[in-house]
Amino acid sequence: MRNMVQVRGLKKNYKDHEVLKGLDFDVREGEIFALLGGNGAGKTTALECMEGLKRYDGGSIRIDGSRGIQLQSASLPGYIRVKEAVCLFEKWKKAGDGKRWSEVFGLDGFYHRKYRELSTGQKRRLHLALALIGDPEILFLDEPTAGLDVEGRIGLHEEIRRLKAQGKTMILASHDMAEVESLCDRIAILSDGNIAFLGTVGELTTTVGKHYNITIRTGQGTEQIETEQIGETLLARLTEYQEKNVVILDIQVDRGSLEQHFMKIAKGE
Amino acid sequence: MGAFLYGAALQWRLDIRSKTLLLTCYLVPLLFFAVMGGIFTSVLPDAGDTLVSSMTVFGVTMGAVIGVPPSLVEIYGSDIRRVYQASGVPVWSGLLFTNISAVLHLFFMSVILYAAAPLLFDAKLPEHPGIWFGGLFLYIVTSTAVADVIGLAVKDPAKTSMGSMIFFLPSILFSGIMFPEELLPEAFQAAGKLFPATWGYRLLSGGAAEASCVWPLLLTLLLAGIVCAALVRRVRE
Repeated sequence: MRNMVQVRGLKKNYKDHEVLKGLDFDVREGEIFALLGGNGAGKTTALECMEGLKRYDGGSIRIDGSRGIQLQSASLPGYIRVKEAVCLFEKWKKAGDGKRWSEVFGLDGFYHRKYRELSTGQKRRLHLALALIGDPEILFLDEPTAGLDVEGRIGLHEEIRRLKAQGKTMILASHDMAEVESLCDRIAILSDGNIAFLGTVGELTTTVGKHYNITIRTGQGTEQIETEQIGETLLARLTEYQEKNVVILDIQVDRGSLEQHFMKIAKGE
Repeated sequence: MGAFLYGAALQWRLDIRSKTLLLTCYLVPLLFFAVMGGIFTSVLPDAGDTLVSSMTVFGVTMGAVIGVPPSLVEIYGSDIRRVYQASGVPVWSGLLFTNISAVLHLFFMSVILYAAAPLLFDAKLPEHPGIWFGGLFLYIVTSTAVADVIGLAVKDPAKTSMGSMIFFLPSILFSGIMFPEELLPEAFQAAGKLFPATWGYRLLSGGAAEASCVWPLLLTLLLAGIVCAALVRRVRE
């Protein structure tokens, strides 16, 4: 599969502070790739280097396709109308698909409304529509659902899935683990300027989540056990309960959420 | 070319909608003209000779120095600039379109004042209107260039207002608009020469494009242009 983005040894310093210490990863055609990390891990810096908005101090970035960029904190002049913003970006990008993207994101209903009169969700959708003008092959999304309510988030996730179905390659920076788990094909977790994990969500769970979480609910209460030996541990506990004539109401076994694994990696455990 | 024309026309419309520029370019200068014109001509019988020039310099200085920087801060001190940059809109476009719009608004305000002064206050019009308007254009462009430096250098709206006032007040007080330069202490007369309003007023009230007044304005314009280019470059990087 074709690599749309190729990052090799990416380094970035802010004065004496080394934010990115040599990142290496590829983003494949048609996939949704997420950059994860705690505050200050360098994900927005890495994203902005790829977007061409920030200069980097070492390494290389190769982008194989046109870019559409939705910034985390984006704004437009308060008095510009939706229609005018779409038209302005169409003119600069020499494209004619602004109306199409406006309709896709349900903006045609308030085409004549001023930017300052839009809700947070409507602004997010407008900026996504503006980023898509010119039909870019690669879309950069920085915290796309930040500040949105549940309805807005679900709606935007649907749009992102629809774009993926159209073959768009997307690179996403997010804090929302549920969002990453449901949308992304592969993830890179940044920790202290390095990539601490690179792979699929399943691989993360398998590789890092060696521990099983067992929750046993009985008539006497709920017991939680964390173990690497699920069979032996579970059998031993069940036998013990049986011997004590304790009624077991429910047993749940899971391998931990992405959030738990992420926390472990981000903390360098 | 389509993007350029659309961007310039759009900025013109945005300025009218935002009302900030309308307030500083039309309402306040024309109101000031209406009030002060009456006072000046009744207190000083000769004030009618220089009324058009003095009120025009006041209006242009105010519209440019107070009105333009907030528009630039809105673009360059916020995420608007990053959105433009990310979408391939040239960084300089915001500066250029704001200037084109401001120059046109200030020119229209000056024309209104020019037409109204003889009717309201029996003010004397310049002997050579063509040269006078040429000088006016130079002064408007120079004032907006200085305003650009304030708007680009300071990104905080409160500090921008302070910067504008620090430039605006001595421009008005030391330039000879409010009272003759000769009445000012020598130090203030010397300080006044640092502000384009002094040279703009001398140029317009002199009735001819005197080289001694044109050169300081051209020099200010050149310096402001160089500083603006450096500031835009810094913003882009």
